Amino acid sequence: MPRIRPSALIKAYRDNPLLPLLLKECRTLGSARNELRWLREHALRTSQTRTRQQPNPTTPLAEWKMHLISMCRQRSRGYPLQYILGDQPFGDLEILCRPGVLIPRPDTESYVVQAAKLVEQMATASERSSTSTDKNDPKPLRILDLCTGTGCITLLLHALLSPRFEHLRVMGIDISSKALSLARKNLDHNLQQGLLTHRASTDIQFHRADVLGFPPGADGGDDADGIPNVEKILSEYFDQPGETEMSEAPLNLEPGCDLLISNPPYISSSDFRNGTTARSVRLFEPKLALVPPLPPQFQQSPNPTPTPTSAMGDVRPEDIFYRRILELSYKLRTKVTVLECGDIKQAERVIEMHNFMAPGQDRFQDPFDVQVWPNNEQDMAFYGFHHNEGSRCVIIQRGVRSSDSK
Amino acid sequence: MSQLRSIPRALKLPLTKLQTPLQHRPFTQTHSTHGKKPLPPRLKLDDSDLSVAYLKGTGPGGQKINKTNSAVQISHKPTGIVIKCQATRSQSQNHKIARSLLADRVEAHLKGDQSPSRVSIKAEAARKKKASKVKKARRKYWGLEGESAELEGEEGGGDDGEVLDADSLAGESEDGVGGRRVEEGEVQEVESRKGLKDTKDESV
Repeated sequence: MPRIRPSALIKAYRDNPLLPLLLKECRTLGSARNELRWLREHALRTSQTRTRQQPNPTTPLAEWKMHLISMCRQRSRGYPLQYILGDQPFGDLEILCRPGVLIPRPDTESYVVQAAKLVEQMATASERSSTSTDKNDPKPLRILDLCTGTGCITLLLHALLSPRFEHLRVMGIDISSKALSLARKNLDHNLQQGLLTHRASTDIQFHRADVLGFPPGADGGDDADGIPNVEKILSEYFDQPGETEMSEAPLNLEPGCDLLISNPPYISSSDFRNGTTARSVRLFEPKLALVPPLPPQFQQSPNPTPTPTSAMGDVRPEDIFYRRILELSYKLRTKVTVLECGDIKQAERVIEMHNFMAPGQDRFQDPFDVQVWPNNEQDMAFYGFHHNEGSRCVIIQRGVRSSDSK
Repeated sequence: MSQLRSIPRALKLPLTKLQTPLQHRPFTQTHSTHGKKPLPPRLKLDDSDLSVAYLKGTGPGGQKINKTNSAVQISHKPTGIVIKCQATRSQSQNHKIARSLLADRVEAHLKGDQSPSRVSIKAEAARKKKASKVKKARRKYWGLEGESAELEGEEGGGDDGEVLDADSLAGESEDGVGGRRVEEGEVQEVESRKGLKDTKDESV
């Protein structure tokens, strides 16, 4: 990271003595100014509510200024702004953020909006094609969000899709009980704020489960913590039990899930340490949500250099979630699968994995349409993506003729 | 000069004694009548004329970084007006603010200065408000030369909030008190009129 020029620090100091503190983390004067404004608003708001509750004899002015200074100090050490302020806007929602749970990113917001768009397009297309067999469609739209964290994806999808779909069932799954309690809090919070319709309380469910769920025999210790395997939860939730598909699935099975979306941990352990991952993220956000755990065969070796074994099927340690999620996606016969990836290369690896793993009979029956998104200049400019750096998502659609998708 | 000075000095003594009744004196607000009229409806912009961009900044994205940049930039292609807004942390909120500001700008641009547009009405109201404030301040402190230096300094600081002036942005965000969100957005917008170059230059 290039050092901040002293002249820039002096300029910032003349502007406001607190700005150099923020500049340490923000790196640009513009964003430091913005953060200072938001922090000041927060300090004033909290001091106002506090004085209203219990009028303080001492001057409130000094109090909020002290608060502001301490917040700026925290920020200069890299403590995330969202943990200081307590929330982060996500679409039109307000997502509460607490230490120990990953902060929602704007990239993820773009993917959710795109996923919602695709689901709506798909619904209009199927309505047009099946007007004759229309029976008022009592079947709900089923959405599954794996590794939900704050619940941001689950909640935003409900907010975006509930006007269009009368019957909606959204389930968020996470392994961390801290994340799940925050996700439930977020559901209540957004209901209270009127940002979600009251239907959300019945349509949305959060469950604790281990998505990775290594076979219990191989891993012994970890799975004996009482965390249910994800397939058990899914088989109870979706109509079809997980086991039947393992051998042979009936060919004309109804899709069990309309949208499977996930922002799993995807940072490799080397990227986590070599400076690619920002200090603020590395130090203050949960590693559980960022770096996938090493599978058992890697844990035993002292130096975790990825030597792909045949059992792993050439999967890198940072990609293990995708393999598992793709597996689940085929089992549930998901119509649309949306997976956030760290960069284009990882997205391409996921597609390769899909090409290798996709069940042959399905591929023949209803072809998959696979793409990395955003893939055109227009979308990238609109959502602010860099043309070759930064995150991407893989979108896999089932049963879409390639002519339809283009 | 000596005559002028002697009058306030004579006034000063009784005033300090009568401080309590003076505090209860109802102040008249001349500018309040101007702001009551409803503003004309905002110009509707055609979506096809706009190009929107959510600015995220470059470099690695996703989970690896946690940028707090939420700026939204909208440009109106026919007139070439560009508005950038980063008033709030929410992109959707910034989008709405930027859009309404852009509508005002485009209207002012198309109608010119002759016919009253939203912008010109607002600017006029702001101008009158400031003029009346300055006038009052002058009347109040006229001749109190001993204290005038400090008092005018304070008065100046308070004024910054009302003026749509890019240079006062620093002062505005310094002294700004809560509940002035929209105005801050507007100030932001004026700043942004200087273009993207500014924000790029600032990177260190």
